[in-house]
Amino acid sequence: MALIVDELVFRFPGAPAPVLNGCTFAIGGGERVAILAPNGAGKTTLARWMAGLLPDGGFLNAERGGVRIGGLPATSFTASQRAVAVQFVGQVPAQQMSGAAFTVYEELAFGPCNLALPRAEVRERVDRALAMCNLEHLAGRDPFSLSGGEQQRVSIASALAMRPSILVLDEPTSNLDPESRDALIAHLRALPDDMTLIVLEVALRPSLAFAERFLLLDGGAIVADGTADDVMRHPRCVALLGTTAIRAAAAQIRDAGKWPAALRLPLLVDDGRVAFREAADALG
Amino acid sequence: MDRQRAQAARTLLFVTAAGPLHALNPLTKLMAFLWTVSAAIVLPPTLTLALVVAGVVLAYVAGVGGVVPAKLVATIVPLAAALALMHGFLIVRPDEVPLGPLHVSPAGFRYAYSVVARIAAMLTASLLFVTTTHPGDVLASLDAAGVSPAVGYLIASPLLLLEPFSKRTRAIRDAQRARGMNLTGTWKARVRALPALLVPLVTLALSDLDHRAMVLESRAFGGEKRRTVLDAPPDSRGQSRFRRIVGALAVVQLAVPLLWH
Amino acid sequence: MKLPTLDARALILISAAIVIDNVVGETVYLLKIPLFLDCIGIFTVAMLAGPFAAAVAGALGIFIGGLTVQPFALPFVPVGFMIGLTAGGLARIGGFRTWWLAMISGALIGIPTTLVSVPIIVFLFGGVTGSGVDFASDYLVAVGSTLIKSVGFANLGISLIDKSLTGLIAFMIANRLPLRLSTSFRFFAHSRG
Repeated sequence: MALIVDELVFRFPGAPAPVLNGCTFAIGGGERVAILAPNGAGKTTLARWMAGLLPDGGFLNAERGGVRIGGLPATSFTASQRAVAVQFVGQVPAQQMSGAAFTVYEELAFGPCNLALPRAEVRERVDRALAMCNLEHLAGRDPFSLSGGEQQRVSIASALAMRPSILVLDEPTSNLDPESRDALIAHLRALPDDMTLIVLEVALRPSLAFAERFLLLDGGAIVADGTADDVMRHPRCVALLGTTAIRAAAAQIRDAGKWPAALRLPLLVDDGRVAFREAADALG
Repeated sequence: MDRQRAQAARTLLFVTAAGPLHALNPLTKLMAFLWTVSAAIVLPPTLTLALVVAGVVLAYVAGVGGVVPAKLVATIVPLAAALALMHGFLIVRPDEVPLGPLHVSPAGFRYAYSVVARIAAMLTASLLFVTTTHPGDVLASLDAAGVSPAVGYLIASPLLLLEPFSKRTRAIRDAQRARGMNLTGTWKARVRALPALLVPLVTLALSDLDHRAMVLESRAFGGEKRRTVLDAPPDSRGQSRFRRIVGALAVVQLAVPLLWH
Repeated sequence: MKLPTLDARALILISAAIVIDNVVGETVYLLKIPLFLDCIGIFTVAMLAGPFAAAVAGALGIFIGGLTVQPFALPFVPVGFMIGLTAGGLARIGGFRTWWLAMISGALIGIPTTLVSVPIIVFLFGGVTGSGVDFASDYLVAVGSTLIKSVGFANLGISLIDKSLTGLIAFMIANRLPLRLSTSFRFFAHSRG
């Protein structure tokens, strides 16, 4: 299912400037996309718009533009339709618990039960989501007694149990220890191919493992859209995101005039190994 | 599936056991509780006390004998003492007799006894209900009966959030103490500490609001008129009939003393 | 009469208020302050979401307390309902616009609260509640007052002070909430100064 953000301009009541200022991009079905921006740049707000959680029916409305999901305005969806079209998982694990389930199993079943699905289907979805996120051994536990990493997996599993066409994750790795982060990245890589995955991050590195397309958000608008390298070439990139250590090292060599012009700056350690060897060979 | 729900809710009085009361539908137990409350109001003290004795016996049969009698005694004894003091010694009644420097009223003691019996019966019934009924099962039975999901949410959510929130409250207190706040000094210092403790506590509780609302919306809460009930507590035609009879009785027996007078 | 519906945010607000009120009691006890202050959550709901939501919060708060630590408190569910309803009604007419109005509203709420709780205390519990208020009731009875009057005046006295302070604290809290949160509750416009 395609998602289009169309010239979206949004400002919080009383704010001097819009947090989203003409934000425009389109994501096709099945794409794996990372939207990159530093803290305070409007990532979470954009994530909420993409997930159909804004406008909220109250004071929070767009000044211009909006979001279309599957060709239809997101505002035209009923709660059940929206829940099946797009799922959102926020940053802080404990805040992602519904507060209506006494066990992890019930937490995962909460959404499908709200959709009034047949019992057998609910159980099948929950069992599958438990397996996908390695949560079978925690099925009987109180969600609030789990660690941050475990809660994050529970919230992602809960979203997966809804079988959404689009999954939006807001900084899913920010509150995790390295081991949990690696486990989560492995789960994201194993998601169904037809599911659109949109991850919002402050840094490039975590999303390199599963994203194919990268968008850079600056000043409330998308300023770069393409591969990781396309984003890294943008003049604002280093100021907004910093850079990987490997890339910084290669950039230093380039500034010293010792980097072959045709060779791209590497992003990952493995790329770096190959690139530094090629650079050394080129220099003789 | 072994849900280990007792582990899930340490703040509850629920006791995990395999007794006959645990197997009953929560709505049946609720109706029995309401009948007992109604009966305790209209029955004479001796029969009300018999309800208490029956309740305690039932507690042992149900496997909650370790909790119900202890909680009953712990609550009733101070109350009985306070009632005896007030009605036996303090309130002036026509039948009072001198006892040294004090005046004692046998009618007052009898009244105190009737109140104690009434409260004990209500408390026993209430304890039997909460020790043998997990709130998750109350929720499921409400869902199965077609009650709005909002009602279920309002019962489940505070019970689930109580313990995590208590933990964060203790953390706020420790943080304030570490910053030099005096929680045990003069009454002025303690009163001044009150807003400094309460304001962050309440703000913290409410800051989650947006996020939790998003989660409920994301999961289509309230999107359909009825929710699927995965593990509805077992029910039967017999229990349903029992609920109707007992419910009607609870109302009718309240009216009898009024008509009698 | 059609009952107002409660959306997801109102439900979560009520749930949070119930948790707040159950936990505040612990803090007040720790500070050894001779008050209850166990209605701050209800008052906050009243200001943000109105009388119906606050009445539900009040009634359910006591019901939840009854399911956890105080089965004894269950007969006082109507009292919680009355507190929420009155607080919401007063918020509707601007009773929480300023700190001193909030204190007066709190004190006013103490009156119907006492009117509803006294018959329960006297006729169901024989005039005794198991709290410190009993000492005041005992004193008044000992000096010759009738049971109803003793329980009434003792509870009214404590209630006026307790609810007045509760109004003040709830006012401070509601006005310190992030703008993003408080502006999302339309009913709060009645209490914004």
